[in-house]
Amino acid sequence: MQTPEFQGTHLFDRLCWAKENLDGVQSDYRVVYEDSIDECAKILVPDPNWMACALQGGILPPVWVYWELAKDEAQPDFKKHTRGYLLHETEPMPAMTEEEAIEYLIQKDVPQHVWKTWNEGNKPKMVICKKEQLPQTREWRNAWRISDDLELAA
Amino acid sequence: MAGKIIADTLEHSTAGSIATNYVVDGSAKSWVNFNGTGTIASRDSLNVSGLVDNAVGDYTCTYTSSMGNSDYVNSSVAMCEDANARGPFALGVRIDGTGVPTTHTTTATRYEYLYGASASSDGGTQDAPHLYIIVHGDLA
Repeated sequence: MQTPEFQGTHLFDRLCWAKENLDGVQSDYRVVYEDSIDECAKILVPDPNWMACALQGGILPPVWVYWELAKDEAQPDFKKHTRGYLLHETEPMPAMTEEEAIEYLIQKDVPQHVWKTWNEGNKPKMVICKKEQLPQTREWRNAWRISDDLELAA
Repeated sequence: MAGKIIADTLEHSTAGSIATNYVVDGSAKSWVNFNGTGTIASRDSLNVSGLVDNAVGDYTCTYTSSMGNSDYVNSSVAMCEDANARGPFALGVRIDGTGVPTTHTTTATRYEYLYGASASSDGGTQDAPHLYIIVHGDLA
């Protein structure tokens, strides 16, 4: 199905169009990351309807838009967004592969201090894996950590 | 988009009228139904980009179309077997020790599914297989 010309259309309206016209895509990818030494490893799961939008193209804004809005929100005098138009008026992203979508989602939803320095330090702070690679039960869930002995693919 | 109707008021033939901003402002801006056990997964949703499994009974929901400010409202329901044989159970926005939400930004909310304390032991968090969340407020 062809995506309508959406530049200038409110992002929420685009998502409603996608909800009506696209089937959700359950990704097998998971992103495991550690953003605090006081907390166990967290697992980011892509939403199926969001993944459908990413694969379709022409719906989601570029990820830098979210970074700009996050900068505004981080200001001490922030009350409400005044640059929401960036979400709606910026040219949408073209169709992504599932792997590109996961990279985009990491840059949107994982804290920047994690993904920008994921492989600095004594061990990786973030790993992309398939859901089958996660523990099959939630036993000791609050103690899960990324392995110190993890061997990374080149 | 094709088929756009611009109107400030909807009027019924006998039952009165309503301003369309009631519809726009009152509609849910995000919702999700997900399984918080095993490898957590969304069953269906609107305006959600992802779910984060933070720990037992501890989840973050992230939004695709950002909220306009952080004063939006979250409604939530959860259902599971009462494995701890006590209550009450509640799914709500996770707060820190001073009562401030841990994460309640324009792009994400962090939730906890909690069970109550008993006379002899503390309450805590628990995973639940049926978690339903709705968000109302203004979009960016």
